[in-house]
This record gives sequence, structure tokens and C-alpha cells, in this order.
Amino acid sequence: MKRYAYYLSCINESMTKEVDRSIELWQKDLGIELVKLHEGTCCGGSNLEYVSPKHFALVNGRNIALAEKMGLDLIVSCNTCLMTIRTAKKKLDETPELKREVNEILKKEGLEYRGTSEVRHLLWVLVDDVGLDTIREKVKVPLNNYRIAPFYGCHILRPSTVLGHDDPRDPTSLDQLIEALGGQTIPYTHKNRCCGFHTLLVAEQESLNVAAEALQEAIESKADFIVTPCPLCHTSLDGYQAKALKNAGIENSIPVFHISEMIGLALGYSAKQLGIKRHIVC
Amino acid sequence: MTVSTDQHKEGNKEVTFRVFRFNPQVDSKSYFDDYTIPVERGVTVLRSLNYIKEHIDGSVSFRAFCQAGICGSCGMRVNGLSQLACTTQVWDVLAKSREPGVIKVEPLRNLPLIKDLIVDMDPLVGKMVHYSNWVDSTMPEAQMGKKEFLISEEEFLRYDKATDCILCASCVSECSILRANKEYVSPAVLLKSYRMSVDSRDSMHEQRLAELVKDHGVWDCTHCYRCQESCVKSIPIMDAIHGLREDAIESRGKNDTSGSKHAEAFMTDIEKKGKLIEATLPIRTNGVVWTLQNLLPMAMKMIMKRRTPPPPPLVKSVKGIKIFRAMFREMTEHVKQDHKSHNK
Repeated sequence: MKRYAYYLSCINESMTKEVDRSIELWQKDLGIELVKLHEGTCCGGSNLEYVSPKHFALVNGRNIALAEKMGLDLIVSCNTCLMTIRTAKKKLDETPELKREVNEILKKEGLEYRGTSEVRHLLWVLVDDVGLDTIREKVKVPLNNYRIAPFYGCHILRPSTVLGHDDPRDPTSLDQLIEALGGQTIPYTHKNRCCGFHTLLVAEQESLNVAAEALQEAIESKADFIVTPCPLCHTSLDGYQAKALKNAGIENSIPVFHISEMIGLALGYSAKQLGIKRHIVC
Repeated sequence: MTVSTDQHKEGNKEVTFRVFRFNPQVDSKSYFDDYTIPVERGVTVLRSLNYIKEHIDGSVSFRAFCQAGICGSCGMRVNGLSQLACTTQVWDVLAKSREPGVIKVEPLRNLPLIKDLIVDMDPLVGKMVHYSNWVDSTMPEAQMGKKEFLISEEEFLRYDKATDCILCASCVSECSILRANKEYVSPAVLLKSYRMSVDSRDSMHEQRLAELVKDHGVWDCTHCYRCQESCVKSIPIMDAIHGLREDAIESRGKNDTSGSKHAEAFMTDIEKKGKLIEATLPIRTNGVVWTLQNLLPMAMKMIMKRRTPPPPPLVKSVKGIKIFRAMFREMTEHVKQDHKSHNK
């Protein structure tokens, strides 16, 4: 059983509780154990970085230091938390004086940021550590009747200088996971585009247009559902779906799943167990 | 439209360029023309287009000049991605082409089309003017030419990368928000605004910032990083956008716009509970009236699905919040000290 420290994203503790609930159901089936980091704090969601760059470094240096204290890599299941924490890690690793300043403060809690733990997305752990062959072996209910649109979202791909796992122009890891679970991926040009989440409260019309475009392509391609590795993309594409599509004059709908739910379904868990009924579009 | 050549020679391939065509004077809609030509290893997309124009079809229109990645004229989409034709190697593109041996060439997005691969750059220039993207000197005119205007190396480094921009508009073409609304300021313009605003010789900082914080300005960026990823000069454009936002909060206060209020909420909530208090975020960003008008129907659906974030009193602080808060506040003192020494 390989162990990891698991970062608790704010949204998964409130609006998208089904993400962590699903992971808890199947993690041991796939030979991994995600140890929840209850002391971890909000990463700043791609905003704290410019509101106060030094607090941003402190907060995320601490988040990583908590995992380092356990001797584990830090696993994240929200794209923006992933990008944000990895950005802070890069800054700390490249700026010795900032690292010293942060560590001087972290001493109070008996913590030290050393830079020894990797910060990785759950999707990467599944594809690289668990492995597609193991996942294939564990599948009980293959998704072979489904045409699936893989929506990667931005912050698992870009900036590539911070993320660097998939080619942001042509990502493949989510496609590989879908195929390992027996599903059929559809060609989907919006796979590496934006969901509009981060400006939903600031530039709502623009964000809805962005979301509607991604939804429209999946609907027109006759996908059965969209799957995403990010709960923020899920909120934009599921929670705001009715509004986005109405705005674009499209009378249709499409379910959107988290990767954790898609895996759960293929491993034989029910929609009820996985919390899929909590989605706005079912 | 094929030019014959010896096939399968090492370092030589037959490549089909599928070129977007549209001439508004004669065409009612756009179409693609295929041109199959011999291409040697090391040849760029621009050289291939020149070959097509010279040897096969003189009517294919595109803009190009320096052929060396300096002038920024030949921005276009090659297999879907906005880039410079003159620095893009045909063989590199072929290696990732979905259709073997075929390269699709299209005009940049988000700018009006003039003909074939040529787009109208005027809207971009217009925005540069609108946001006053030039240095209006703080030096009185009488002193000009008599006194040196020294810039420290430290200051220069703040905008060094931004001056690499060659206005090729690849970032403009890739921008998610511009795609949704053509009035949006656009990344290249924000980059240039940043470059001007951090220059101590500039006197229009406040005026420029006042325009940038309005609708369709700096707060409308959705952090998708497509601009930065497509930049042909590898300029960290998002750093510039973040820099402008940091500047806006510092100069105009955290309650200036919905964008600044939204950003500041993260700072406040992290200090208070260690996590984001999502339930009140819309109200704190846009006020009660906006929230009721815009989010009520969705909120009702979310309540039905038990999907609403918990109200603030029910948001539990993270484990060990007291010591975390003390550390957070210690950093606040560091930041205050930094500001004091900076102002000195």
C-alpha cells in the first residue's frame, strides 16, 4: 500500500464533497492510501499570489512542509490548488532568501520547508504510480458503452514550466485513464481549454460563454458525459451549466463527472455511494 | 495542386499544407486549399508558404517580413496553435500532426479577418492607445536632453522580459476571455501596460490603472495561462497581469472593484479560518443585490442537492489555526517592514 499526504481543497470540503467521498471508497482497491492533511490551509486559489506574494509563499511552504514532516508526497485533486502550490514550491526552491524567511516563521510550529516532497495531481498518481495495467485489472464494470469527453482544465497543464506532466497542446493522461477503465474518448478540441470558473463572479457573461463552448462541443459530439480532474471545472460545467447553455441558446444538457466518480463506477461502486446524485445535472 | 519530387529521400518529405482561404471580395464563405510540396528538413512553415506563393498559387495571402522571429508579422495558427510561421519548423509540426503529412494553417483568432491568413491588427493597436501604453515622462520638458534619466538594474529587471514582446498577437489569438468578449483588454495590452506602469520614468501610472480596473480590464482575466503558454518569446505574461493586480490593490485599495474584493477575500479568510468561506464570497464580491439577481435560481438548485457551501459560522477552522494565525500575522509584520524600507 503506497501512502501519500492528501491536500484537502476548500471546494471539496463544501460544494463538491463527492470527490473525497469517492476517493475514500476505492483508494485501497487501487493499492494507495491518501492520508488527509487536516492542518493544511487554503492555498490562495491563484489569487493570494498577487494579493501578498510573501503570505502565498508562507501558506504553501507550510502545506508542503506538513507533507515533508510525514515523509510523503503531497497529492492534490483540484487543478488550481495543484498549480498554486507547485508555483509556490518553485518560488521557494529558486529563491533561497524567501525560503529562509518562510522557514524562520515555520519554526514556531516545528516545521521546515526543505523541498523534498513532490506536489502531484491525483490523476498523475493513478497513471504513473498505480499504473494503467493495474487499473485495467481492477475494473469490474467497464465503461465500454460510453463516449466520454475528457476535459483536462487549465491548471493541470498550464503554465507548463510549473506543471510539466502532460503536453499542454496535446495532453493524454486523462484519455489514458478513461481508456484503461474501458471508456471511449471522443476527439474533443476543448480538452485543454478553459472552463471559465475563475471569473464567474467577476466577469460572469464571459465565463458563461467560455463554459458554454466546452459544453456545446461535447453535446454536439454526442458524448455521454464529460469527465474532469478538477472540482472547479466541475462546478463551472455542472453547477453553472443550465445558465451557460441558456445564455448560449442551447436547449440540451450533459452530465459532468469527476475522475474519482468515473473510477468508482468502473470499480463497481454505485452512483449513490459515489454521491453522483449531488450533481446539478444528473 | 502538387509539385512532383523524389519521394522518401532522407531529409525530404512531401507535405500537404491545408491553407485557410477567404477573400471577402469574391468568397461568400471560407474554405481550405491543399498544397502538396517537397520539404527538406530544416525548412520553416513560412518558407513553405513562400514556396507555395512563388511556385503554385500566387493568390495565397499572408503577412511576413523579417523571417527571423523579430518583427512579429507572421503570427498564424499552425495545426491549431498560434505561433510565428518563420520560427516554426515543418518537421517539428509534422511529428505531432493528427493527419500524417498534413499541416493546417489558419489565421489568428480574436482579430477581424482581412484575407486568407491576414488579420486586422487595428483593434489591438486601438486598445494600446486606449490604455495609454507609452511612457509619458515625469521629467519636465525643459530638462530633456540635459539630464540623464538613470534606471537601476533592479528596476530594469522588473520589465526586462516584458520588453521582449514583438506584438505578434499569438497570445491575443489564444486568449479565453477575448474569445468570449472582443472588448476585453487582451493579454498583449496588459503586458505592455505592466511594462509602462513599473517604469519610474512614467507619469501616467494612476491614469492608466484607473482605466485598467474598469469592465473588460485587468480583473476579467480568468488565469487560464493560454497567453503565456503560446508566447513566442516565452514571456511570463501572467506575472505581468498579477503585477498589475497587485499594483491596483496597493494603489486603489482592496475595495476598489469586484475583482479586488474577490481576491482580497482569500487573504482575509485564510487568516481567519485557514480556508475559504465560499458561502459569502459572491456577496463580498458583488453585494447582496447582484447575488440575489444572479445566483438565486442556482442557489435553490444547490440547496435541493445539498450542495451549498456551509454558512460562515459552520465553517470549521483548520486544525491548529491558532499557531497558523500567529505565523500568518508574523508574515504580515514582515510585509509591513518591507513596505517601510521600500518607501524609504
